[in-house]
Amino acid sequence: MPILQTMNLDQGFGGRNILSDINLSIEPNEVFVIIGPTGSGKTTLIRLLDMLDRPTGGQLVFFGTDVTFSRPLRLAARRRIAYVQQKPLVFTMSVFDNVACGLRWRQEKKEVITEKVESVLRLVGMLDYRERSAKTLSGGETQRVAVARALVTEPEVLLLDEPTANLDPISVTKIEEVLGHVIDAKRTTLVMATHDMSQGQRLADRIGVMVAGRLVQIGKPHEIFMSPETREVAEFVGMDNILPGIVTGKDGDLATISVHNSTIEAVTSYPDGEMVLSLIRPEDITLTVTPAASSARNTFKGNIVQMVSLKPLIRIEIDCGFPLLVLITQRSSDGMGLSIGKTVYCNVKASAVSIIKRWTY
Amino acid sequence: MEEIWNGFVQALGLIASRDPEVLEITRRTLMISVSSTSIASAISVPLGSLIHFNRFRGKRVLVSVIQTLFSVPTVVVGLLVFITFSRAGPLGELDLLFSPPAIIIGEVVLITPLILGLIISALSGLDRAVGETAISLGATRLQMVLLSLREAKFAVLAAVIMGYGRAFSEVGLALMVGGNIRGFTRTLTTTISLETSKGNIELSMALGIILLLIALAINVTLNRLQQR
Amino acid sequence: MKKPGYLYIGIIAVASLLLSATSCMTTTPETEPSTPTPAAPNTQTPAPTTPQVPEVPEVSPTPTPQAEPVAVAPLSPKNRVRVATTTSLYDTGLWGYLEPLFEEQYNVELDVLYAGTGIALEYGRRGDVDVITVHSKTRELEYVADGYGTERVPFAYNYFVIVGPPDDPSGIMDMSPEEAFQTLYMDASSSFVSRGDDSGTHSKEKAIWAAAGYDYADVQAAGDWYIEAGRGMGPTLLLASEEQGYTLSDMGTFLAYQGDIDLIPVVQQGAILLNVYSVIPGNPEVNPSINAEMANNMVDFLTSDDIQKLIGDYGVEEYGMSLFIPSAGSEPES
Repeated sequence: MPILQTMNLDQGFGGRNILSDINLSIEPNEVFVIIGPTGSGKTTLIRLLDMLDRPTGGQLVFFGTDVTFSRPLRLAARRRIAYVQQKPLVFTMSVFDNVACGLRWRQEKKEVITEKVESVLRLVGMLDYRERSAKTLSGGETQRVAVARALVTEPEVLLLDEPTANLDPISVTKIEEVLGHVIDAKRTTLVMATHDMSQGQRLADRIGVMVAGRLVQIGKPHEIFMSPETREVAEFVGMDNILPGIVTGKDGDLATISVHNSTIEAVTSYPDGEMVLSLIRPEDITLTVTPAASSARNTFKGNIVQMVSLKPLIRIEIDCGFPLLVLITQRSSDGMGLSIGKTVYCNVKASAVSIIKRWTY
Repeated sequence: MEEIWNGFVQALGLIASRDPEVLEITRRTLMISVSSTSIASAISVPLGSLIHFNRFRGKRVLVSVIQTLFSVPTVVVGLLVFITFSRAGPLGELDLLFSPPAIIIGEVVLITPLILGLIISALSGLDRAVGETAISLGATRLQMVLLSLREAKFAVLAAVIMGYGRAFSEVGLALMVGGNIRGFTRTLTTTISLETSKGNIELSMALGIILLLIALAINVTLNRLQQR
Repeated sequence: MKKPGYLYIGIIAVASLLLSATSCMTTTPETEPSTPTPAAPNTQTPAPTTPQVPEVPEVSPTPTPQAEPVAVAPLSPKNRVRVATTTSLYDTGLWGYLEPLFEEQYNVELDVLYAGTGIALEYGRRGDVDVITVHSKTRELEYVADGYGTERVPFAYNYFVIVGPPDDPSGIMDMSPEEAFQTLYMDASSSFVSRGDDSGTHSKEKAIWAAAGYDYADVQAAGDWYIEAGRGMGPTLLLASEEQGYTLSDMGTFLAYQGDIDLIPVVQQGAILLNVYSVIPGNPEVNPSINAEMANNMVDFLTSDDIQKLIGDYGVEEYGMSLFIPSAGSEPES
């Protein structure tokens, strides 16, 4: 039975809809990551899941019980959930007292509290700070305390809103370590919002992509990144090459697509005549200076118009009649002696091309 | 100038000799002002929390009214208390007029809006996240309110200190409902008022200095509490 | 804040509530701050100089005439009696002198409210005081006729006097009171300070204006020279002295304040200047809460031979003349 579900959840203020028709079903001990650009409504959704706000429409079901409207049911559910905010607020007291709050409110015994708090502080590496005033901590330290504070109550569901955003790399590592530990223990369901795709890819069992208040795709990380279902998802997951075209021929699942004045071969189930978008990741294109005898079915000849260094990689824009963005290592680029104006050949495997339907309005 | 110096000297004399009447008046002043502030705070803290943390129609109007009452003239309150507790009035049976409890009641009526309004202001100054974080961590509403008061401790105590200041310096109301009866309802402020109008400038000054010293002592104490 | 913080607050709150409760329970030992001689405002300090009544802090096994204050709730009418008094009886220090005597004799706490005749009458009507001592015959008679007081008992008298700056700028010295007021009105250059507080003295002032042929409303609007002080007799004298203007005062208060003010008597003769003080106990039939027994005791006290003598002697040593002339229940023809 899913531990958490939302049905047709809406949230709006003053006539504007921030969230529309959110449907989620999260299984116990699952790691569900919500990714999406800033402003897509991730925080609003997480707040609804923590029942800090009431939705303007739809239902929220926790542990099998509809908690949308009942205050006592919400309190009961809330004690089994913990939430780490994007910019967590610590109270004006010591680190120890901050973390102990939740337990004290649940009237835990003093020895139990001490033991649990110290254990969780050790986990996040903040045990030495326990007498420090929490207000004097740095951003990363505060975040760790917030995570500790959430974990100490041993919640069944842990909600996190951008837990590593704006943190120094060491804190990011530490927190992901802690999250990893929590995930491995297999006792907690995680619902996490982030705009860091690689983080999502690393940690998630499933990903939900949110764009403009809607969940546009839910699936395993691999599916999201390899087979985005809409243009927005594609853009978000970094498929920088989006080429409009039309299917001109089909041979089984292999399609020939006319793109500008070239053709692309790709694997898709769309039929002949379908208007489609061909999606290619920059890193899936290989460059050669001579027409290579490679296994790639697609080769486009073009001129380099721009080169941007992203050490140790380099992003190259090539004009093949249509623009293609390619990402290769600086070493390869130097090795081939690439420079602006040079003619190169772009090679893409048919399997590396994703096809989605194109809507023209 | 000589008057001020003489007043100062006389004040020291009165304090050093522990003049019984001055001691008695001082003790009574403290008792009345501390009692009224305590009672007013005991009313205002829960009430202020209730008003702040709940949404209801007319909330803004209510807060406006409370803030308007900050500057209600003390003699107006004095008049109201007088006609209520006078024998001819509705609560005359209690025989409270012209006694210290009447002054305490009047002062409570006077300073409760002040402390109440300032506590609501103190809570409003808190980041919304304080309450939300507490709720999120599983606090009941009461636990959340107590935590919020703790987080706003500085401003809450400032409210109490302000209320105390107003009660302590009260003259008009104390005169009207206390009657300034020697040995019974005289306070430092009413005595100063009386003695000045009778021309006992030096005695008034002496009492005034004592009054300031006490005010200072109390404020220092409360400030130390505030800083913890 | 940590636990100690809560503890402090708790202690303060409980302590103050206890203090207020105990203060209600016990009465404070009456100390006599003023000397037996009438209080000249400036020289009086509340230092415990020879008290009229020695304090008895320890409980003596046999009850002594100097009563140990009784520790009972003063909220019960039996142990407290309230008198509202006209200010001149207070500013002269007479009440300060008589208060402990009354308390000792009758074993009660006497609360003296410094009021002014108008306010005293109002307190009496409302039943907020048990007995009043005032000096405004017409209003007193009306008060008794209306049933608020049981009887009007004159107990002392003196004379009003018009006082003014030593150089007498309006030249009213030795005129009759009515003439003097006419001169002041027409002259309109020297200040006149009125009590302006509905007191007995103020009533007398209004009576003189009327006798002089003026409508009081006209007097009030006559100009800046007419100042309505709105305060007691002593304070009014001080104000008149500051302004170097004229005012109407009772002789007793004037004598008591003479050392502090720069005014001299200018008009002392005139039948209209008679000033009779009366004591009026409240009527328990109209205001049942009144302590009728004590109110009547007050009448007896003020008209008793001993006290009458004391009243007559009051001020003689210091000022060379009596501030009040005892009259025990009667009054001179006015």
